[in-house]
Amino acid sequence: MEHSIAIRDLTKRYGNFTAVSGLTLEVEPGSICGLLGPNGAGKSTTFKCLLGLARPTSGSIAIEGKPLTPATFQDLAYVPEKSALYENLTLAEHLEYYRRCYARYDAARASELIDMFKLDRKKKVGKFSKGQRTAVSLILAFSLRPRIFVLDEPASGLDPIFQRLVLDLMIEAAAGGASVLFSSHQIGQVERAADRVAILKNGKLVVDGSVDELKTTEKIVEAIFATAAPDIDGLAADPRIRRIERSGRIIRAYVSDGSEAIAKRFEEFSPRDVSIMDLGLEDIFLTAVDGRDATIPHGDLP
Amino acid sequence: MAAIFTVDPRSGVPLYLQLIEQVKRAVALGTLAPGEQLPTVKSLALDLTVNPNTVARAYRDLERDGIIETSPGRGSFVRSNGAPGEARRAAEDVAVAMLGEAIRQAKALGLERMRLEALLDDLVGRWFPPHGEE
Repeated sequence: MEHSIAIRDLTKRYGNFTAVSGLTLEVEPGSICGLLGPNGAGKSTTFKCLLGLARPTSGSIAIEGKPLTPATFQDLAYVPEKSALYENLTLAEHLEYYRRCYARYDAARASELIDMFKLDRKKKVGKFSKGQRTAVSLILAFSLRPRIFVLDEPASGLDPIFQRLVLDLMIEAAAGGASVLFSSHQIGQVERAADRVAILKNGKLVVDGSVDELKTTEKIVEAIFATAAPDIDGLAADPRIRRIERSGRIIRAYVSDGSEAIAKRFEEFSPRDVSIMDLGLEDIFLTAVDGRDATIPHGDLP
Repeated sequence: MAAIFTVDPRSGVPLYLQLIEQVKRAVALGTLAPGEQLPTVKSLALDLTVNPNTVARAYRDLERDGIIETSPGRGSFVRSNGAPGEARRAAEDVAVAMLGEAIRQAKALGLERMRLEALLDDLVGRWFPPHGEE
């Protein structure tokens, strides 16, 4: 199957600053990929390169197997983090503009979406709140029924009810075969809506895989000893261990894989207890972003 | 209508496993009867606000395990033959894992075997009160 989005070995430098370094990321049809990362990790730069708004220093971008051309944007909708709208035009005028520009524009769908977001189409966009502008950008994007969505912080400024609506719109689109790449600071959104997560840190991909596979392999292995925790050979060098915490009688290893094997290794030292704990995506994110640089191998994608 | 399942996306347990467990539980308890239709992948994904591929994966695994059957174009149904038996076996697996974990923790807390067995006996008696002799 052809990738909807294929970013290959993308590097973007601004002067001496490397914003994105060697990023490879693919999104399949029907998949929702959540892009996470601290501020300045390279999410927005990745989007700019993906959309042809910035020229990659090296690497390539392909949308449905082809390089970007103006025609690409008939099938791809982009919602920028800061909405790019005409302050002096009403919502209705924005819709009319879209009707003229896009063959795929669906007026009935646009009306449904306006009702869902409870917006006044006669109002000038300049008079809308930040959240309402986000809603306008989303209405425009979803009224095109595109095959690919690129959404930069699509729920920013929205209240929890509308945030949930945005997730439902993404889920509905993916169920219909569209693919979605979205960035968010709200890990819970990615945890719900995405089947795939990519975590960037300092422009590099540090985690890439299916959310469920990551939860299957990423664990904390904790051993409690009767006396001070022993030194265990080779632990620090084990590539499956992202981080080790020690305090007194406790050793805690944050592992990216092989939790059972690490637990067995601990048991050789006769601890009082060894337990393997599950990690939510927030903990996986924090561990990956705080821990040492290492790419987790791709999990099996659903 | 309320969703027939609930999941906790923030849990460290993968969502597709949570869904599988919920469906098996519903079949074991009879909330879902043999032959009953399950929601479509899309409607369950929207009901729970979770990824459609996650729901699809749960359905695929449930079909492999003989709990449901899917006929193209018609949807997914609880299997008429054997599903409750399969689900009870699955429920037993879940229960054994939970009890095993509880016993492991009790041992780690320093309980002796004899004491633990006596406590388990008490606890079992609390949930299965004797009602007359056989």
